[in-house]
Amino acid sequence: MPIRKTALSLAITTCVVGPVAAQEASTSHRQLLDRYCVTCHNDRLETAGLSLENIDVGNPREHAEVWEKVVRKLRTGTMPPPNRTPPPVEDSFALRTWLESNLDAVAETQPFAGRTESLRRLNRTEYQNAVRDLLALDIDGGALLPPDEAGHGFDNVNVGDLSPALLDRYISAAQRVSRLAVGTTLTSVQSDVIRLPADVTQEDHMEGLPIGTRGGVVVPYTFAQNGEYDIQIRLARNREGRVGGLRQPEDHTLELLIDRERVELFTIEKPPEEDDHALVDAHLRTRIEVTAGPHDVGVTFFKRTASLLETERQPLQSHFNETRHPRQTPAVYEISIAGPYNATGAADTPSRRRLFVCEPTETNQSLDENCAEQILMTVMRRAYRRPVSEDELNGPMGFFREGQAEGDFDAGIGKALSAVLMSPSFLFRVESDPEEIVDGGAAYRISDLELASRLSFFLWSSIPDDELLDAAIRGVLSDSDELERQTRRMLADSRSFNLASNFAGQWLRLRNLEAVTPNARLYPDFDDNLRQAFRAETEMFFDSVLREDRSVVDLLSADYTFLNERLAKHYGIPNIYGSRFRRVSLDPGSKRGGLLRHGSILSVTSYATRTSPVIRGVWVLDNIFGAPPPPPLPNVPSLEENAVAANLPMRERLAAHRTNAVCASCHRTIDPVGFALENFDAIGRWREHEGDNGLMDASGGLPGVGDFVGVAGLEEGLLSRPDLFVGTLTEKLLTFALGRGIEFYDAPAIRKIVRDVEFEEYRFSSVILGIVNSVPFQMRNST
Amino acid sequence: MIITKKALPRRTFLRGLQATLALPLLDAMIPAATALAKTAAKPVPRLGYVFIPMGCHHDKWIPEGQGRLGQLSPSLSPLEPVRDQLTVVTNLELEMSYPGTHDTSNSGFLSAAFAKHTESSDYHLGTTADQLAAKQIGQDTQLPSLELCMDLDPLAGVCNNGYACVYQNSLSWSSPTAPLPSEAHPRMVFERLFGEGGTPEERRAALQNRASLLDSFSADVQQLKAKLTAGDRTRVDQYLDSIREVERQIQRAEHGAMTNPEPDMDRPTGVPVSFADHARLMFDLQALALQGDLTRVITFQLTRELNNRTYPEIGVPDPHHPTSHHGNDPEKLEKIAKINTYHVSFFSEFLQKLAATPDGDGSLLDHTVYLYGSGIGNPSIHDHENLPILVAGGAGCGMKGGQHIRYAEQTPLANLHLTLLDRVGVHLESFGDSNAKVENLFDEVTV
Repeated sequence: MPIRKTALSLAITTCVVGPVAAQEASTSHRQLLDRYCVTCHNDRLETAGLSLENIDVGNPREHAEVWEKVVRKLRTGTMPPPNRTPPPVEDSFALRTWLESNLDAVAETQPFAGRTESLRRLNRTEYQNAVRDLLALDIDGGALLPPDEAGHGFDNVNVGDLSPALLDRYISAAQRVSRLAVGTTLTSVQSDVIRLPADVTQEDHMEGLPIGTRGGVVVPYTFAQNGEYDIQIRLARNREGRVGGLRQPEDHTLELLIDRERVELFTIEKPPEEDDHALVDAHLRTRIEVTAGPHDVGVTFFKRTASLLETERQPLQSHFNETRHPRQTPAVYEISIAGPYNATGAADTPSRRRLFVCEPTETNQSLDENCAEQILMTVMRRAYRRPVSEDELNGPMGFFREGQAEGDFDAGIGKALSAVLMSPSFLFRVESDPEEIVDGGAAYRISDLELASRLSFFLWSSIPDDELLDAAIRGVLSDSDELERQTRRMLADSRSFNLASNFAGQWLRLRNLEAVTPNARLYPDFDDNLRQAFRAETEMFFDSVLREDRSVVDLLSADYTFLNERLAKHYGIPNIYGSRFRRVSLDPGSKRGGLLRHGSILSVTSYATRTSPVIRGVWVLDNIFGAPPPPPLPNVPSLEENAVAANLPMRERLAAHRTNAVCASCHRTIDPVGFALENFDAIGRWREHEGDNGLMDASGGLPGVGDFVGVAGLEEGLLSRPDLFVGTLTEKLLTFALGRGIEFYDAPAIRKIVRDVEFEEYRFSSVILGIVNSVPFQMRNST
Repeated sequence: MIITKKALPRRTFLRGLQATLALPLLDAMIPAATALAKTAAKPVPRLGYVFIPMGCHHDKWIPEGQGRLGQLSPSLSPLEPVRDQLTVVTNLELEMSYPGTHDTSNSGFLSAAFAKHTESSDYHLGTTADQLAAKQIGQDTQLPSLELCMDLDPLAGVCNNGYACVYQNSLSWSSPTAPLPSEAHPRMVFERLFGEGGTPEERRAALQNRASLLDSFSADVQQLKAKLTAGDRTRVDQYLDSIREVERQIQRAEHGAMTNPEPDMDRPTGVPVSFADHARLMFDLQALALQGDLTRVITFQLTRELNNRTYPEIGVPDPHHPTSHHGNDPEKLEKIAKINTYHVSFFSEFLQKLAATPDGDGSLLDHTVYLYGSGIGNPSIHDHENLPILVAGGAGCGMKGGQHIRYAEQTPLANLHLTLLDRVGVHLESFGDSNAKVENLFDEVTV
């Protein structure tokens, strides 16, 4: 790894060398602490559980944990609090650099890497991705495994457990996956039901379906075998049990497509006015022949000639709720697929091509055993992420022989494959101390194989591919040039979209979008289409910054975004038509751009009925600025909604936060950050006014930065301290990469990355490489 | 629990009638021989709840008199074959439900709680009786409880009178803020009960397959353990505990598959077109779940509030909801009574099915208590008084049956919930707005 000594770090290093200088420095730092900190943080009060009264500032390494706290507060300007006199900027800077350089120097000579858990099971996302890469098989992890508990903001942290329920689900998953991958003829009829959310509007074209259609859905579906399948479609009904959207007397035409080819047309007639609707969609079923493997199943309606929809109310884009904004045309509710009937096995599927590296003779037992061994050896090496010994073949080969005896060669492979998928070597990521460790507790360099898994699970949330695994087995992966080459190769691979969907999805709380249900009376124009568009925008935007290797600060200040018609209309951006997302350049005066202007983030930080400057403030401080406020004090009641008039401006409703001393200690910092985003309502629309209260007052402030107005001011304030944003992003990425919480001893590694990437203009790849090359990523402390 | 041993000749009679009672679907679903072969030593109490929307036509619902159940009213007449296991309770009310609303008829039925008036996700109700029971008697079965309905798609957004749709969708709430979804698709229910795999042979083979996968996993974990440090071994010991627990579950399931194989039927693939077929299938699935002891608590929304289903097959081609606003129009009242009778007839078929299914020293009905009714009394004004309420079954658990409990004044439905909960071992001071227990429902036996 090339170590770039920067001018700044050299200067700091020199200033801590001489003992005389150190002594002088520690005297002045002690004076600063006594004057500005010890008033609260003394042995008697121990405010926030911290006393700086009798702690030796001349020797920071003795109390690294305490001093790292001090460093963070000084860096983010969150201490002393706003109502206290701050120390002179240069003195505070001197103290901070003194502490940092000392702590960093220790980390340099005595690396402390922390200890990731030795046993970590694959979580739901990792399991789904691993199956995709191992067997060329797309599965819905959500249908097979329960959700994972998050820790430190990410769901790959608390994965050391294995409850009975979870173990049970892993067994079911292994059976199902191997059945789908092999397509053995021994399986009976299976069925799946694909349901659409109740709040999807289906009046317009849906992405992925043919032009000239509207509504419906297209889903990838893996058919286990060649054979016949029953497909039944049911239409969405309203609360009275009637099929929604049968308003006109004309018939509607529903089309069933497999891989965009029409296989069936159905006509939907409107029944007489008072009739039951039970039979309206009863005939929407058919039996079709499908070949084994993945296909796109599409169901959609012919779009009628566009005519202006007649409505008595404000025209909205959402149509799903009978009371507020009824469907204008019928919509699909569910598709059920059952089969195979008259199955004839699976001949040629992507999964079989990947799995069957040789073909059995079905006549020569010993040749077939060799073939089975080859197949299993190949899949086990990939699944276990390491070389596999001959001995290890015994278990799966036992399953193979059993299955073969019951059925045929394929059945044997299917059975053996499920055993491979149930092996702890597949299900768990194991990191163990090397045997030759003599110095207990010291940091050691992890093996190349462990490094390969860390890298692939970081960038792809999946198993290494053959090229990465080969490099690790050859023992060249730890070579810094090779590691960089592999990292860049993996970032360029489409699988690194995982960093947008999985990492950013959790870092930015995009996953919570599914639970966002704004009040239908106040925000009638919210539907699932908008929800999904929100998510798509942010994921595509994050991915573009990564893929184009832009500066990570562009995440906050970009002059482009990704829109489709639905989202563009929501944002008030003209001339964007169609369901497809595309990159859109924005004018300098645009209300859109960086992450803080994305509807996704603005709505996951709002309540169902209004914005929350508090939630937004905490979100920015925690996820962008790197100064997470302490959790709310116990026994402090939340601001009673009813106690303050709901028609007052939000700023006045939150006034108690600033007048009450207990509240103010934190909310003085939190609320102004959120106020700056008040021009965006609870579903991310721009507003100049708040109700009848005149112009919106969006003035706000950031600790250590100063006051500003609106989102532009907030962005400018955040960008004035790129070290804070980049440090925060690095910390979140490192948490995700390691699958453990960040501790004080990781701070030197993070600071080093932030220092180094500044000279690479904060390019995304430099941040990723900084993490990959860091001590906590490459090393681990033994017990 | 003391099981009272009563001679019930009717049951013997019904058992003989089983073939004629059986519906086409039922016939295939329950293999009579295996049902008879089941000899569980100790019957367990089970609880079921059936909800109907939009009240009743009282004149045709409430039987004459009180005390001993005399002549059944027209709407209840389909229950004649099980009248000695039937108790009619008259003059119950839901005081916490907001007058005139459909939403709180549904939400109050099992919660007897006040539904927070909101259209957003900050809804708040109360833990429902079935869920309290599930926490007590549902923990040893495959499913703690089973929630069923007949309307496939849950409603979204705002429903009625500014109430969030969850109040109208969900009968069961596991906490005041956690409404449980219910399932209308017979196949989804079937798979929850019996898993994948079609025939009993396939299911047994699948279980054996699971057991051997678990063995292989267990062996590998043991090997792994040897390579780890002492601290990490504790973790592996937890895995081994989990392995043993799953082993036990598989053994239980295997045992179940041997003694009580799943029905020899094609798993239902679609949703039956007619209401009658769908309703019967959903009731049949409940019988299967109870018979296999796969769950001991069931709720079933026979139709949703505000539904506009029509019933041309019984001479009601008009949608239910507008008809229910009868304004004392005799024609509309007659149609409401017809719908009431029709719904009750499915319930009766189901009860007879349970009565014909042996269970321990009696029938499945002897060891199952079902509460059937609506959260609305007079549909014309959508009030929540004088609710149509029936309690059936439970003769083996001390239920008296053959009664008409008629309160002089409006009495909380919650009293009945409290009484039933007490009977399954959930001993509460009060439930919802309850103010007493229902006397005389059960024999005075020590529980």
